[in-house]
Amino acid sequence: MDFRFDIIVHYLPVFLRGTLFTIGVSIVSILIGSILGLGIGFGKMAPKAIYRWPFHSYINFFRGTPLYVQILIVHFGLIPAFYGTTNVLMTSFVALSLNSAAYSAEIFRAGIQSIDPGQREAALSLGMTKWQAMRFIILPQAIKRMVPAFGNEFIVLVKDSSLLALVAAPEIMFWSNTMKGQYLRIWEPYLTAALIYFILTYSLSKLLNYIERKV
Amino acid sequence: MEPIIKVRHLDKFFGAHQVLTDINADIHSREVVVVIGPSGSGKSTFLRCLNLLEQPQGGDIIIEGTSLMDKNTRINDIRTEVGMVFQQFNLFPHKKVIENIMLAPVKVRKWSEDKARQKALELLQKVGLSDKAEVYPASLSGGQSQRVAIARALAMEPKIMLFDEPTSALDPEMVGEVLAVMKDLAREGMTMVVVTHEMGFAREVGDRVLFMEQGVIVEEGAPEQLFGSPSHERTREFLSKVL
Repeated sequence: MDFRFDIIVHYLPVFLRGTLFTIGVSIVSILIGSILGLGIGFGKMAPKAIYRWPFHSYINFFRGTPLYVQILIVHFGLIPAFYGTTNVLMTSFVALSLNSAAYSAEIFRAGIQSIDPGQREAALSLGMTKWQAMRFIILPQAIKRMVPAFGNEFIVLVKDSSLLALVAAPEIMFWSNTMKGQYLRIWEPYLTAALIYFILTYSLSKLLNYIERKV
Repeated sequence: MEPIIKVRHLDKFFGAHQVLTDINADIHSREVVVVIGPSGSGKSTFLRCLNLLEQPQGGDIIIEGTSLMDKNTRINDIRTEVGMVFQQFNLFPHKKVIENIMLAPVKVRKWSEDKARQKALELLQKVGLSDKAEVYPASLSGGQSQRVAIARALAMEPKIMLFDEPTSALDPEMVGEVLAVMKDLAREGMTMVVVTHEMGFAREVGDRVLFMEQGVIVEEGAPEQLFGSPSHERTREFLSKVL
């Protein structure tokens, strides 16, 4: 088998742009997803079932359906419904953020509920409000426990962003497909893509290990 | 004189199970009231109702003239005046000992950092732990943890202190150091409600002892009377097992 490094070199600048897109969309989505997720996580812990229900349904929908389907719904349904026309960039950020919000919500909820109720009781018994107890006592402890789970979620998100190739978002897989189409070669484009994803996720997991040790 | 805590016809359920039935009690300022009784008698639940960590379903609790069951009562304000010490200490593990003590005065009472630090150091000295100010709770023994927890509650300058089995989670050799701090506090005139299995403490420090069983106060009286000549068969039975 001959392996043509020259076409990889030719495509490198394009792969680099794709990689930056993948990194960018992953970072923005995990950030927006965490903020939304915090709210959804709190919603799911509401004392009354009627208030929990919408948040519960949100999480069930996004965890219970393939991201593939969600991307299509966002791209051809949700974005046009709001803007009249669809938009690849919006689809990328919206679909991944909404998806990651569902997983983040569960990470927040599990982290918060893993803290001994005695911590909250001690805070309340000192006259703190529920929000002060959450902010000063429960969240700081819970976030430490959430770090590994968030790391996993981030790594999953980086890999899942490859599904955005479906709507021609200019990320790594999209360019691999393009390269395959141009040269009618299989190994070069896809092995290159695999290697880039591996480098991304492997360095991320190293970084996360380091952060876990720090906190 | 008007009691500082009045409990009237208090009922508490967990689901369908009634854990407190028609509890009535008066606790006066500077009084030390000790609650004893077998496990599951409702004594901890009773104590936790006094700062509304448990929400009663019926009756009323009036602290310094304010009803806790009144919808307009701000429970946080009441809790600043009612300190609590827990069986499991519940120190904040992510904060140093001194931060544990300073947090509520700064965030709730809005004291300056300096004032809160001053107060915290004073209290640490009082409980004999001045050298532990800058360590994290994980490095403390059980007895030390509980003394810090007492200091933390006292930092809010409460008028009433609730103790929920404060020595039950301690190794026997550490019980004494915690009881000593509590005795000091009683001597200074703190109003205290203490749920405990330490009959020696009840007898020595208590002004009044309540004996609870199955969610009711069976008998109450001065320690010498309740321990010396209990008037109820069930009190006698319980005491014969624990003394």
